[in-house]
Amino acid sequence: MATIVAACMTSHAPNMTATPAAAPEQRKRFLAGLEEMRRRLVAARPDLVVMFVNDHVQNFFYDNLPAYCVGVGDKHWAPRGAAGFLKIPERQVPGASDWGKALLATGLEAGFDLAVSHDLEFWDDVSVPAHFLMPEGTLPIVPVLTNCVAPPLPTPKRSWALGGFVRRFIEGRPAHERIALLATGGISHWIGVPNTGHINPEWDRWVLDTIAEGQGEELAALTWSQIERDGGNGGQEIRNWISVLAAVPGVKGEILTYEPVKEWLTGCGAVWMQL
Amino acid sequence: MSDYQLNRVLYEKARAHKMVDSIGPDELADYELTAEERAALAEGDLEALFRLGANPYLIRRVFRHKFAV
Repeated sequence: MATIVAACMTSHAPNMTATPAAAPEQRKRFLAGLEEMRRRLVAARPDLVVMFVNDHVQNFFYDNLPAYCVGVGDKHWAPRGAAGFLKIPERQVPGASDWGKALLATGLEAGFDLAVSHDLEFWDDVSVPAHFLMPEGTLPIVPVLTNCVAPPLPTPKRSWALGGFVRRFIEGRPAHERIALLATGGISHWIGVPNTGHINPEWDRWVLDTIAEGQGEELAALTWSQIERDGGNGGQEIRNWISVLAAVPGVKGEILTYEPVKEWLTGCGAVWMQL
Repeated sequence: MSDYQLNRVLYEKARAHKMVDSIGPDELADYELTAEERAALAEGDLEALFRLGANPYLIRRVFRHKFAV
């Protein structure tokens, strides 16, 4: 039985790095939270990190768009092509191919019809958090992607079930393995829609307080419509967080930072689960 | 007509990491689009693109500079 040595979540937004001079005070406070997360991740000494993230119509288009997908490549681009815009050097981060393939095969056997990709290039979803949390780029990443951006989306309830499966998969792995879980995305934001830039700090606080109290399963009961109304289309990315919460059910979260950053168009939180 | 072709125009720009203010008729010869879709792309009309079924993330990626925020 392998060990989950860390479980955490953070928001992502391209402007965290693309417009570094915007919102300097909020940026400083948010990045202090991420620095604390980085410090704890290093101290947890994981062998690999399973990253629950969402594509931004970058890898998957409407000609072939999976609800869930496991990245099994030896490496992933994070970022590629967008380096000038994101102001993050183009780079490849290591994958964990065998581990990802085992997760895929076991998932299929367990009834989770996961798609697979050997070749992924990431936008802010992986590139921005990895830039701050894993700057050295040596920790292998197994991405688990959820469609949060091209409705109809898988239900939050299904993302909870997927997280529970990932926990059981880890329990079946060799005892020496040390696994970190990291979700990115959310919290509230409205992107590309007529009210782009709106943030709902009240909903963000409810999400964070619910996690802090160890009641993450309440988020799995949310519907697409409820999230769209209270968290915006960007709030649908909370599915990534829900999968991590399901892997550590009942565990309380510590809110490392929360900043509703207008210039980043996002209610930005970071949470460390108290395993 | 489906909004698939409209989204394909935007997706191909996004994949190439292009950010533009307008996508004119000379770039759209190979796409099956309605006159309304062509006009929305040519004008970079954010609300029209959204109303016509363009994915909001693609609108944001491609026409980023047209947004007020």
